[in-house]
Amino acid sequence: MSSGFDLGPEERLAILLSRHVHDWETSACGALSFIPATAMLLARELHAPNVEIIILGSKEYSPFVSGKDFHFLAQRGEMDLFFISAIEIDKHGNFNLHVIGDRDEPDVLMPGQYGTGLLYYAVPRIVMFRTEHTTRTFVEQVDYISGAGTSPEGVRRRTREVTVVTPIAQLRFNMETRLMELASVHEGFTADQVAENTGFDLGIDGPVETTPVITEAEVQALRTIVKPHMIESETYPDLAARLIREP
Amino acid sequence: MGVPFVSTLGYAGTDILERRPADFRIITDPFEPEERIVVAKAINPDVAIFHGSKGDKYGNVLVQRRGEELMLAQASRRVIVSVEEIVDEVGPDSLNGWFIPAIHVSAVVHAPYGAHPTSAPGFYDADDSLIEEYVDAARTQDSFDAYLEQQVHEVESHEGYLRRMGLAAPEAVSS
Repeated sequence: MSSGFDLGPEERLAILLSRHVHDWETSACGALSFIPATAMLLARELHAPNVEIIILGSKEYSPFVSGKDFHFLAQRGEMDLFFISAIEIDKHGNFNLHVIGDRDEPDVLMPGQYGTGLLYYAVPRIVMFRTEHTTRTFVEQVDYISGAGTSPEGVRRRTREVTVVTPIAQLRFNMETRLMELASVHEGFTADQVAENTGFDLGIDGPVETTPVITEAEVQALRTIVKPHMIESETYPDLAARLIREP
Repeated sequence: MGVPFVSTLGYAGTDILERRPADFRIITDPFEPEERIVVAKAINPDVAIFHGSKGDKYGNVLVQRRGEELMLAQASRRVIVSVEEIVDEVGPDSLNGWFIPAIHVSAVVHAPYGAHPTSAPGFYDADDSLIEEYVDAARTQDSFDAYLEQQVHEVESHEGYLRRMGLAAPEAVSS
């Protein structure tokens, strides 16, 4: 986005993600999730003062002693929004956190999904994100389905909204067609650029919406309130110090 | 828990189910017959080995609070717990740890620095540089083999490992 702000990639994504956090809801992210953690704390400062924030593994923002209680909460239907990042996301809404390449002799073996395949079913609103928008990330078919966009017939599922946020665009999973489609393009980028960097057809048909531009209020709150709070509350303090700039 | 399987909201349609048909099934929900649900078979390891902070002569142990060790102990046929300290007694009201009663524990091993180079809360922090060394070594089979040779086989014993690392074993067992 070219709105005059010199933003780091993590800052930009955190601001865009923060807009998906709703007031009075319970929003959550897993461990090792600096960007969505930042997004939730920013949303609380801006438009969601009563959001319940859960950051797995955090001292300040996780009420749980054990990780399984986090998943139990979601299964009970008490988690409204969960953030997921993945190595690959495909046009059918599947994501991959397991292997790149052949499943039995992978080129890259990753740590796996730690219950994300469950949360993708149990949580009504899912926001996926990725720090790059490339054809290696957005693929026709993931190498391994860690989380399934579409459920087999008759299987109970709570998911009703899936959004993907990247540095250049937002995608949404169409619940009718069961396909990913372009939702909006960030300022400074074109639909053609998004299509070029996506490994599947985005169903672009006619004019495309522009993502609302990043505002000074968002940048200010991020740098003047959220950054010092994260350092003080030991919520990814090193990353906050390094990746969120000084006001 | 001791149950033969659990139901779970999720995973249907993933390759996790596809590749592990012996562990996961999709069944008709017996209570909501128009719906289907994923069930996962119990995992019951023959042996579980994990590290805790304190153990006593009865076999009671304390482990870190933020973990799944109790469930692991309840699921496994034999349970070996290494501990930083042997003390007179630990019980359900002991602070600074999560209590696992002796009925779930087969053996307690006194192994100071038994979690090294990862952390033992209340005793020592993780040694990040040693973990980075391991991560680098794990990239190829050759470097991993060399790491294993140096860190495990050459030192021969836990005491040898502590000497290699310059870590002094406590002089006496505290109580």
